[in-house]
Amino acid sequence: MKAVGLVVLAAFLVAFPSLASDPFVLSVGVVIASYAVLATGWNFVGGFTGYISLGHAAYSGLGGYATGLLILRAGLNPWVALVVGALVVAVLAVPVGIAALRVRGASFVIVSIAVVLVLLLVFQSWGSVTGGSDGLRVPRPFDADVLRPEQHQRFFHLHAVLLGVMLLCWWVIDRSRFGMGLKAIREDEDKARSLGVPTVRYKLAAFVVSAFFTALGGGLYALWFGFLDPIFQFSILVGSNMVLMSLLGGVRSLFGPLVGAVVVGYATEFSKAQYGDTQLHLVAMGVLLAVVVLFLPDGIIPALRGLVARLRPGQASIREVTQEELVRR
Amino acid sequence: MSLVFQSLVLGVLMGGLYALLAAGLTLYFGVMRVVMIAHAAFLVLAAYLAWAFTVGTGLDPMLSLVVTVPLFFAVGVGVQRLLVARLRPATMTMMSVLLTFAVALAVEGALGLVFTGTHRRLPLSYAGARLELFGASVALVKLIAFGLAVVTLAGLHVLLKVTRFGQALRATMQHREAARLLGVDTDRVAGYGFGLGLATAAVGGTALALDATIYPSLHWAWIGPLMAIIVVGGLGSVGGAAIAALLLGVGQNLLQLPLGTTWAQTFFYAALFVTLILRPQGFFGGRLAQRF
Repeated sequence: MKAVGLVVLAAFLVAFPSLASDPFVLSVGVVIASYAVLATGWNFVGGFTGYISLGHAAYSGLGGYATGLLILRAGLNPWVALVVGALVVAVLAVPVGIAALRVRGASFVIVSIAVVLVLLLVFQSWGSVTGGSDGLRVPRPFDADVLRPEQHQRFFHLHAVLLGVMLLCWWVIDRSRFGMGLKAIREDEDKARSLGVPTVRYKLAAFVVSAFFTALGGGLYALWFGFLDPIFQFSILVGSNMVLMSLLGGVRSLFGPLVGAVVVGYATEFSKAQYGDTQLHLVAMGVLLAVVVLFLPDGIIPALRGLVARLRPGQASIREVTQEELVRR
Repeated sequence: MSLVFQSLVLGVLMGGLYALLAAGLTLYFGVMRVVMIAHAAFLVLAAYLAWAFTVGTGLDPMLSLVVTVPLFFAVGVGVQRLLVARLRPATMTMMSVLLTFAVALAVEGALGLVFTGTHRRLPLSYAGARLELFGASVALVKLIAFGLAVVTLAGLHVLLKVTRFGQALRATMQHREAARLLGVDTDRVAGYGFGLGLATAAVGGTALALDATIYPSLHWAWIGPLMAIIVVGGLGSVGGAAIAALLLGVGQNLLQLPLGTTWAQTFFYAALFVTLILRPQGFFGGRLAQRF
């Protein structure tokens, strides 16, 4: 059952570019794939440890800028620059993680927001290196004779491959001792610590992995889009989008962020195409986020699973509730 | 020398305003352990209401406080009772951040829809007036904003220290269960605490509008500095936040001389990170902050 689902998903990802009716639909597909990559990257820290970062735009933005600057200033091959850039971001994430993970809950969120705001200031003011408020033009990795639709197609597949690798990593961690430790931190950090989980090291490792993948996603987006503006790269909105998508789909599920990205991404792009870019988007996003937080904090996937389980025949008249479900309520 | 003194005076005035703007945040955190991201958005909302009031009626923006303060109090109680109190206690801290973030987005979007994105500035007859203060030249509007901050914070202090409600509020902040055992209706007090916090946003937003150009997305620029202030001061400590606001305001203004305005902004974040590394519970907070 699961294997069939995976094969269908993979087949869809491979075939989507040829199914897309025109380049615009294809470009929307790339945007949604990019959202999915970023949201899944966020979920390495948000889903496993329960530390909700509103500032992951810092790592996607840094990834994009690192890739662009390494190509322009160091003359690296674009693909090498993408990976090296993400590694640089991962190294940068270590001190940030050490400072941010010293505190829990509210203060962590504050720090995550502060990092984005600092980077916005730095990248806007440090014009000689970063291009400042005028932005940075990132050269395209493919030759000029590769036309736009062809570009979209290639980037869609690149995003799909990256997403596949990330999902595999998430799946492996989910089943590992490391993942158990992270989830223990999410449920009760003090108890986890008293049971011998090296909480500081585990949290930091998850944070750095998350920053690395998010930076790869940001870098890939930069190569596709070809232009970086600090206002849009280091925006709290980008980070909150990752949170919204992951929460909507379900942070405890492997495919949660992907599902959330498809729903939110499709809705955003559809309404942009239909009604233009208005302030109504902000209101809609705010309302949706509030609804998810208040009524669907576990996300769509667990909600649907619960519904299916309830409707399935053969249920005992007294519903059995596991300890985990009890705690979650 | 006179330039440094001038910055020092301006820094104190700015710091006073910052203290007012951050006061609400410490109240929310105190009563509900909630980091209210939407506070800055409500500041901008109050600023817009003051602007609309002055443009519409031609009266002084201060008079708009008669309407906005009770209105914001009611909205604050509503936000607490209808939204924040519904969250599960186990995930309260994280989820409330997202919830209030959602409120901030909705407020910003609504401002954009109603007032458009055009930059606005209060038309004041005394906008250009300046005063000599100990040899430093200070804009009158800055003095008025500082005065508003002092009056409001002093009022808040008296309310918290002297009245019965203030006692109940402080008890709720210190230990919710114990307060309830002593007969305090903590749910209602928490609601009023929220309302009180938002009422300070009404005053703060009006003070802000006196001397700033306003636009819907302005609140992003304020979230960071305000958060830095409450962390440096110690989450949940009203007095600590006021001291931190003064120190950071003075520091920022002095740093503007050698660094320029943009880089001086980073002072807030530098202070935030230094605080987290040296003393995560904040420099002026009590035991309360230690647990977060």
